[in-house]
Amino acid sequence: MVDGVILTIIKSLVLASVLMGFFAYMTWVERKLIGRFQARYGPNRVGPYGLMQPIADLGKMLQKENMIPEMAHRKLYIAAPFIAMTCAIGAFGLMPFGNVATIPGTDWTIHLYIANTSVSLLVVAAIGSLGFYGLMIGGWASSSKYALLGGMRAIAQLVSYEVAFTLAVIGVIIQASSLSFVTISNAQEHLWYIIPQFLGFLVFFVAAVAESNRPPFDLTEADGEVVAGYHTEYGGMRYAMFAAAEFINAITLSALGAVLFLGGPSGPFLPGPIWMILKIGAFLFVLIWIRATLPRVRFDQLMKIGWKVLLPVATLNLLLTAVAVVYL
Amino acid sequence: MDLVVFFIASVCAIASAIAVVAQKNPFVSALALLANLASLAALMLLLEAQFVAAAQIIVYAGAVMVMFLFVIAYVGPRGEIGPGARKPWLVALSVVAALLITVEIIVVVVGASLGEVASVDGDYGSPAAIGKALVTHYLLAFEVVSVILFMAAIAGVVFGAGGRPVRLSTDQVLAKEGESAVARRREASRAALEAARDSTTGESAR
Repeated sequence: MVDGVILTIIKSLVLASVLMGFFAYMTWVERKLIGRFQARYGPNRVGPYGLMQPIADLGKMLQKENMIPEMAHRKLYIAAPFIAMTCAIGAFGLMPFGNVATIPGTDWTIHLYIANTSVSLLVVAAIGSLGFYGLMIGGWASSSKYALLGGMRAIAQLVSYEVAFTLAVIGVIIQASSLSFVTISNAQEHLWYIIPQFLGFLVFFVAAVAESNRPPFDLTEADGEVVAGYHTEYGGMRYAMFAAAEFINAITLSALGAVLFLGGPSGPFLPGPIWMILKIGAFLFVLIWIRATLPRVRFDQLMKIGWKVLLPVATLNLLLTAVAVVYL
Repeated sequence: MDLVVFFIASVCAIASAIAVVAQKNPFVSALALLANLASLAALMLLLEAQFVAAAQIIVYAGAVMVMFLFVIAYVGPRGEIGPGARKPWLVALSVVAALLITVEIIVVVVGASLGEVASVDGDYGSPAAIGKALVTHYLLAFEVVSVILFMAAIAGVVFGAGGRPVRLSTDQVLAKEGESAVARRREASRAALEAARDSTTGESAR
């Protein structure tokens, strides 16, 4: 808390609201882009250019019956989407959107980040790993084999790719010699880390696609194999919360990529938050592009990529970085 | 503020610890243990140990407990323990163990001088300070632990494989035995499927 308790609460509320709005309209962007990639229009009926589509979807979701399967573990079944959602939003909270800004017309200054600790990166990783439990509890509490298998797949995939992901990020940590997002993004003032850490960036990106359960690594909800995975038994708003948590995780990972490899909120002419949103948008565009382009991998291929390709490459990158930092 | 957080985290820690042993459902029990670990992490934050708190969540909550839940979820749908499963000698043993731990805690708390508040400098508990301590003062212990963990990992792989032949994927069969082997396997499975279908239709006709 760099600005006192009340201001921090206000900033958190603003960030959470902006994040939810951003998420809602990214679903529109995604559907529009996927449509274009597949030579069709995408949503274009609700409002101009289909812009009211996310709100129409929300209205539809809210009207659905809140049913609970008879054999489900009721409390955990209800809690699971909340756990997933809370962790997804919480992990985003530490992202920096600039350094210090002055509010126009006054001499009040505020920090454009909610908190800056010496362990920011670890906290994001920790909250992210707690988010896994949402999927796992949801899969288990549904008392459905498909949901259980989907949850298990999700955990196996996330745990495997977290190793390569963390190793890739350590390269950046060594180079910036800090775990604080503010320090890391300030250290890239002259040179974005995507250039010296290109190998690490590649591993980071592939692992991030897998961590956010997005195609081609969306094995957890492979429709032909496990119906819809861990959220097979969920409907209405509870399902929507799982979907939102998943997309917000993708946004958080994009923000992490922007901070660690693309200089975070720094950039010429435009203010920090705008740059940050542009960089997150660029990452998300590539994610959508990949989704429209690549077919889903098989589970053994998924594990092979994680353990036999990404892990050695990430280790090599880590060793090279360590040698370079010590001897250059 | 610190005091409020301390009491909330302590109550959560004690309540979840009781839930771990009181819950009949092993899955819920494991989740209670997870809540306990998270409350301990909050207490560590109050002790200026940010790195240990984050590492606690990542390692225990993020990796160890996931494996616990993984196993529990696979072992049985609802492996609840009924009243008949309680063995008297186990109860007696647990009471003895609890008494021993209580005595140990009392000895430690009374023996330590908990009177004054320890003063720490700003760098205390930061990742840099802990990293420096690990590779200078505690280097030997650190390396020994890493070797032990490595051995444990290898042992896990050996036990996990259990000497059974590894099932090959389609790609690997292709690489090893060629197209004909894959075709043969496909033929065999189709024959099995047809046999199964014949038997079911035969039954329904009857």
